Amino acid sequence: MASSSSAQPQQINVTDLDVPQLADVRRQLEEELTHLSNSYAQLRQAQAKFKACIDNVGQVKPENKEKTILVPLTNSLYVPGKLLDVEHVIVDVGTGYYVKKTRPQAMKHYESKVEYIRTNLEALQETIQKKQENMNYLINVLQMKLQQQASGKETKVG
Amino acid sequence: MAAALQERLQTASADFQKIQNDLSLAVDARQKLEAQLSENELVKKEFASLTEENTVYKLVGPVLIKQDQTEAKQNVDTRLEFIRGEIKRVEGQLKDLGEKSEKKKLELVEIQAALQQQPTNET
Repeated sequence: MASSSSAQPQQINVTDLDVPQLADVRRQLEEELTHLSNSYAQLRQAQAKFKACIDNVGQVKPENKEKTILVPLTNSLYVPGKLLDVEHVIVDVGTGYYVKKTRPQAMKHYESKVEYIRTNLEALQETIQKKQENMNYLINVLQMKLQQQASGKETKVG
Repeated sequence: MAAALQERLQTASADFQKIQNDLSLAVDARQKLEAQLSENELVKKEFASLTEENTVYKLVGPVLIKQDQTEAKQNVDTRLEFIRGEIKRVEGQLKDLGEKSEKKKLELVEIQAALQQQPTNET
């Protein structure tokens, strides 16, 4: 999304650029790559969290009714509690809203979340790969230019 | 003459820096709004698939408060509207700043060219 706002003339041939410009482009590409890989890792984490939620919802089953559980009040303080309603859970749907759902509904909700993230992950993976290819090409051109420059200087000196 | 040009260069590049700074701030704001928009749209989608027995709660401070479904839906709708308006506003800002920075860039290039044309053999 951010790339569309910076409407840079993308039609310039990379081989037309000189070495400092190439280095600049490389730096920019590097930044984009780290940003994208960070996003990828974050998405991965979010997906893992939702998967954990699916497991947890699975634990709120009728067999566990009336069993004692420890309810965390803070990170380090727990009180014993009893599981009464095994049919409903309350799900965070975002922006401060929570919805009471039946267990199958909650499962479906989290599964669709995981699926949603999966498609995003795939798209992101593809862009990362493309960027990586661009990067490799750019580095090749850069090295070529550097070599040319070096040999050019030698002939001038000699 | 060269000193005056130098001075112009300094102020112009300071201006340019400032515009760049504002620009990146606006880009950040735009990104934040985009994130809010997509989150709210997800919530809207979620609300659209609710049935009567799905009670909606709203997080107010540390507690969950029961809220009417229609009220919650309206709330999200107004929020979406607001965010879209904000995005439009920031978009205008971005365009404005982009033009400004383009202009300053040209000015900078001009000054630099003028500086280079100055006879340097005086020094």
